[in-house]
Amino acid sequence: MDTLGFLFQGFGQALTPQNLFFALIGSVLGTLVGVLPGIGPTSGIAILLPLTSFLPPTPAIIMLAAIYYGAMYGGSTTAILVNIPGEVSSVVTTLDGYQMARQGRAGPALAIAAISSFVAGTLGLVGLTFFAPPLADVALRIGPPEYFGLVVLAFSVVVSLSGASLVKGLSAAALGALLALVGLDPMSGVRRFTFGTSTLLSGIDFIAVIIGLFAITEVLVGVEASITAVSTAALGRLMPRWSELRRCGGTLLRATGVGFFLGLLPGCTPGAISFISYDLERRVSRTPERFGRGAIEGVAAPEGANNATTSGGFVPLFALGIPATPALAVLLSGLMIYGLQPGPLLFEKRPEFVWAVIASMYVGNVMLLVLNLPLVGLWARLVRVPYAVMAPLILLFSVLGAFSVRNSFGDVGMALAFGAVGYLMVKLGYPTAPLVLALILTPMLENALRQSLSMAAGSPLIFVTRPIAVVFIGAGLALTAWSLLGRPRRRTT
Amino acid sequence: MRRILLVALFGVGMTAGIVDAQPQYPTKPVEIVVGFAPGGGADVAARLTAAYASKKWGQPVNVVNMPGASGITGTLHVLRARPDGYTLFFDNHAVSSMLFAVQGDVPYKMDGKTPIALVTLDPVIYTVKDDSPWKSLGDVAAAAKANPRAFRYALGGIAGVASFSVSQFLYAAGVPVPETNRVVFPGGAPALTALAGGHVDFAGQQWSESGGLILGRKIRGLTVVHPARLPGLPDIPTAREAGFPGLDVVGWQGLSGPPGLPAAIVQKWAALVEEAAKDPAFLEQALRVNKVIAYKGPEAFWRFQQEELKKYLPLATRLGIRK
Repeated sequence: MDTLGFLFQGFGQALTPQNLFFALIGSVLGTLVGVLPGIGPTSGIAILLPLTSFLPPTPAIIMLAAIYYGAMYGGSTTAILVNIPGEVSSVVTTLDGYQMARQGRAGPALAIAAISSFVAGTLGLVGLTFFAPPLADVALRIGPPEYFGLVVLAFSVVVSLSGASLVKGLSAAALGALLALVGLDPMSGVRRFTFGTSTLLSGIDFIAVIIGLFAITEVLVGVEASITAVSTAALGRLMPRWSELRRCGGTLLRATGVGFFLGLLPGCTPGAISFISYDLERRVSRTPERFGRGAIEGVAAPEGANNATTSGGFVPLFALGIPATPALAVLLSGLMIYGLQPGPLLFEKRPEFVWAVIASMYVGNVMLLVLNLPLVGLWARLVRVPYAVMAPLILLFSVLGAFSVRNSFGDVGMALAFGAVGYLMVKLGYPTAPLVLALILTPMLENALRQSLSMAAGSPLIFVTRPIAVVFIGAGLALTAWSLLGRPRRRTT
Repeated sequence: MRRILLVALFGVGMTAGIVDAQPQYPTKPVEIVVGFAPGGGADVAARLTAAYASKKWGQPVNVVNMPGASGITGTLHVLRARPDGYTLFFDNHAVSSMLFAVQGDVPYKMDGKTPIALVTLDPVIYTVKDDSPWKSLGDVAAAAKANPRAFRYALGGIAGVASFSVSQFLYAAGVPVPETNRVVFPGGAPALTALAGGHVDFAGQQWSESGGLILGRKIRGLTVVHPARLPGLPDIPTAREAGFPGLDVVGWQGLSGPPGLPAAIVQKWAALVEEAAKDPAFLEQALRVNKVIAYKGPEAFWRFQQEELKKYLPLATRLGIRK
């Protein structure tokens, strides 16, 4: 039987009332864990894992997978409305999404987030459907030197995220890189910058930092400016205009490409992928100055890329049993508890299971779109709620979110401290996005660099003798040069 | 005298009555802390055990992940918890023996806990890429000895199983370890992914991490460190069969509690694990996640851990990874 035959058979299974029900449960729960900051798909799936002892494998995995991709839909909601990224991958969405909300365009921002998630997620599924096993082998060829090249490429984004002052942008990035080094040295286990405390031993948690830098800082700034609500502009139309949708068409195709292909690579940090997709959009845009001030493509690109990444991540999971993200690692243990060892044999031995799950993801994405679009009107009204009510609620959710990542009070302290850091940065005109990007990329950079050098007995020549690595590094350097050269011109326009 | 006796008897009866009337542990949800992110070896074993206990006792037994600092964060949390039996932790080779071998100043004491039971073993499998010319551990030893500077191997973390399994093998084979290329990855999965991609030549990770890629024919198992061949992998010889009887590094998972945990609670849990270890459904589940069920009671579990530490301390010192 060919792929389409298997897929149709899969739909036959996915559309049974029982499997539809569990896809719906998963989608709703996924949206919920996505909306709540701190509680991500990883804990969402882990909490429901015990249910696997009561359910047959197909509905259980359908539900757990739906939590994973559903969370990507929910993650943008708080990013847009109150500047709290619900998930790591929604950090970039705050840049333009929150600006849109402040301009009274929360409706279109939320709607485009849902539409982008649906379109790119579904296109990514098409990739998963037709190319999973061959693409998984391609992904294996990407080793430490190639990951190093990818990080160099991703770091070129810092320049364009820097805003008015390159020095301030680079300083923020340097601070982010420094913070990423706190904790145990990954290669030797040496303690770095821990000052003898056990809290810092585990490193600085990424979620705690972004909750502090984005949500708490925003509350401090908002309270100081005594704003009465996130947005006082009249709540305009809820759906994006046709012209805006058309403008996002190309964006979504590019976001799908970036998200799906980088999502195939188990060593590529998902948080970085949305940054890369956002930067790509700004570079191809004829009006790059709109980005950061409420450009609708600035929401479509990261949200689309997130969901394509999610679809891409299932390729190495199903075809090789390699989890690209912590959430997929939990899903993998779910599969294994059922004796469904992923790998090439899974497609041969249990096609009815694999294809039912893949088909259910198409169905789940439709459910999520149908679920999320009507919610837009409800959510969008939140920006009009008096800030005297909203601010304490945002703080409450920030503290809960920071705590729930690792069940640690140390992380709550960290979030509060970074609220203060963020406030100072805003006051002094330092952009926070380069800090976050460097915080995401530095561990990947350090690992890839040191792994590559150990592979080559210490010789840096390994970076110029592997073609794919050369292409990535060259592209990164070229993009950095392009951004640097483009800067003065951009300032005068 | 008779009156006193009667009163005394009555008293004893009353006390017995009160003891009987007290509801049995657990009367509220129990938390089992795992010092690692969901999805890892300790996490899966903890979740299987927790599910078994919940079903048996009708009280929720929840797994709580507190990842960070090689498992130290979660372990410290439990060691400081009230010893009432409602906060326990899933102990493993990393937090209880390998970490002590690697670090001289772990922020807790090895004997500062109450061991309850060993639950699972996760044997080491030495692996190469599927199309590697090396067909046995002897081939690897010969190649590494002939050209140590070109020999690259992956480790899934520095204070983990692989640090010890690979170095123990290299020492046994007489390879000059300092000359070889050690490539450290953040975990077993990325280490084996790099092996499958041909970016390194050799690895020695646990069964739970390697099983899938071996069955999928992306990597090849050369030798398993276990008294017998593993179910589902009948072609992989044991270390003894491969001519390396001295190899004995192993991953394990067990249940421990804070210091001063009442004996009754320890016994209740140990009995539960012992019973689970004989339950065909539980055994089947463990087998599927590539674990060997290996029950040991509180005392045996404690002796086992001390033996483990004795194995790893000299290795870590010789490797120069002890701090």
